[in-house]
Amino acid sequence: MAVMTTVQALNDALGLMMAEDHRVFCLGEDIGKMGGDFGVTRGLYDEFGGERVRDTPLSESAIIGTAVGAAMVGMRPVAEIMFADFIGTCYDQMVNNAAKVHYMFDGQFRAPIVVRTACGGGFGGGPHHSQQVEGWFMNVPGLVIVAPSNPYDAKGLLISSIEDDNPILFLEHKALYRLKGEVPEGKYRVPLRQAKVVREGNDITLVSCMKTLHDCLAVAEELASEGISAEVIDLRTIRPWDHDTVLHSVRKTGRAVVVNEAPKIGGLAADVSAVISEEAFSSLKAPVMRVCGLDTPIPFSLPLEKLILPDKDKIKQAVLKVIKF
Amino acid sequence: MATIGISTEQHLNMYRDMWRVRKFELALEREFKRGKVPGMLHTGLGQEATLVAVAHSLRREDGIFPDHRCHGLLFLKGTPGAKIMAELFGKATGVCSGKGGSLHSADVTVNNFGDNAVEGSFMVTALGVGLGWKMQGKDSLVAVMVGDGTAGRGEWHESLNLASVWKLPILYCCVNNGYAISTPVAFSHATGDLVEFATAYKIPAVQVDGNDLLAAYQATQEAVAHIRAGKGPYFIEYKTWRWQGLFSGEFRPKEEVQYYMEEHEPISMAKAYLLKEGIVEEQQLEAIEKEVENEIESWVQFAMESPQPDPAKATANVYVGWEVESWQ
Repeated sequence: MAVMTTVQALNDALGLMMAEDHRVFCLGEDIGKMGGDFGVTRGLYDEFGGERVRDTPLSESAIIGTAVGAAMVGMRPVAEIMFADFIGTCYDQMVNNAAKVHYMFDGQFRAPIVVRTACGGGFGGGPHHSQQVEGWFMNVPGLVIVAPSNPYDAKGLLISSIEDDNPILFLEHKALYRLKGEVPEGKYRVPLRQAKVVREGNDITLVSCMKTLHDCLAVAEELASEGISAEVIDLRTIRPWDHDTVLHSVRKTGRAVVVNEAPKIGGLAADVSAVISEEAFSSLKAPVMRVCGLDTPIPFSLPLEKLILPDKDKIKQAVLKVIKF
Repeated sequence: MATIGISTEQHLNMYRDMWRVRKFELALEREFKRGKVPGMLHTGLGQEATLVAVAHSLRREDGIFPDHRCHGLLFLKGTPGAKIMAELFGKATGVCSGKGGSLHSADVTVNNFGDNAVEGSFMVTALGVGLGWKMQGKDSLVAVMVGDGTAGRGEWHESLNLASVWKLPILYCCVNNGYAISTPVAFSHATGDLVEFATAYKIPAVQVDGNDLLAAYQATQEAVAHIRAGKGPYFIEYKTWRWQGLFSGEFRPKEEVQYYMEEHEPISMAKAYLLKEGIVEEQQLEAIEKEVENEIESWVQFAMESPQPDPAKATANVYVGWEVESWQ
């Protein structure tokens, strides 16, 4: 098996799907000859040409609108929004159009689009290049949010997303772009709406995704040497997320900590902990805790940013608090 | 205005369709006031000539993005009128099973892509339809109905720019009725002549009297020919006037109201032309009006007698392939 970065795995998935299905095309800012701001579309312009690897102006509404319209007439567009923070400029297209087309016309049209975007902080990107935006979309029926944590899942989930008939927001955490991992050659799928138990344990369940998933794994490793057995779940699809896998685990461990880089209020972690409390209350030995970003924008200063985002120490403290409850 | 090779039959069809639009809206307004039509009501009364000019210039396989004053266009595009009326009543027999209503009536079978009630947002959706069809080698065009108030939206400018750059088969039909709700066009835009925006984006554009059926029809025919020849988008500004005032009542000057409802009123203008040119007899026109009356009332009857949507529809078609939680 080849070792690839997440960027290479995503690039591989796009190339495979474009070669296999002429309906698949990419559009976004600087994705053509330049290959995208992070290199995810590198080489695709030379292979498939400017018609199918289409550079756009800084018109995010037009990028999403074009994708939806093309999808309504049978195409399979993959749009790139350079930084997730920019989605504010095309929010209407995402929530009032892409997500509603299927419902409001009662199934006559579909919007099978994939909107790839680079998200997440920790690198001094400042207030407009660092955010986790899933919370902006948690309350949008019809929309699916996919969020890989490693190169293998990135490729398999992107292939599944392109093949799926729903509009998909595909979050790519910038801190994971250079992460390396084994990736099979050729086409394979990682199923949507299926979380994965990435480490088994008996004392507590850590639920997370993307970058903080790796923090959870590191904490679980540390805890093991201290005699605490943590189970770690990667949600992979974060809207709608896989209740069964999480509840099954919590019913076994009796404890849960939910970790998400986005702010705590009204976010993914709030929903996960609420569902655990509603559905597995009698199994709980302690309240469910959330470890999330603070209720602030992301500052430019690295030391300030570090104060705001969740990290291993904050996760470990929460775990110990729950264990000692 | 010359008759540009229009047969008597087509003259009569267009005249009939203007009445169909008019009487559809009048019946709808009546039933709305009686509490039979839920939600909000925006009518295309006064804009019949523009709607008919567009409808008669499109083929069934051409696309349409109708706006909120386009009820008439919904059935003129080919959807049975009864299914449109039922949709506006929110009934099970409606074209979207009652889930879309006046502002979201789409019909995939006639390439009606539906309204987006966030005015102008679908101007960028239309880019995708045009691009998709171009990539698929189809020669269909897509018509986008937009009001004057839409010129303030970012999507307006993003759409005109990219349609021009990508040479997409899009017909922009700007129905300028003078006011965005209560605000006069020129008060809130750099120009009251919206055609100038399209020109700035290097899109061929004309301004036409949208109450003059033949002028509007001829302009639309020329636009459609341009697009079908593969020359890219075209923009028409139809200058017209809406009968509907505000929910609080009439807000426009008396003289203006009188001018558009009596002197420069599209159906009486068309009628005067047909009679003056000796194309038809007055009796024929009266018969048409009566026939249309019966047709529209049969649609109202159908909508009234139709059942409410199946409760299962409330949670149907949120996702493709996945069910959502329901109360049951």
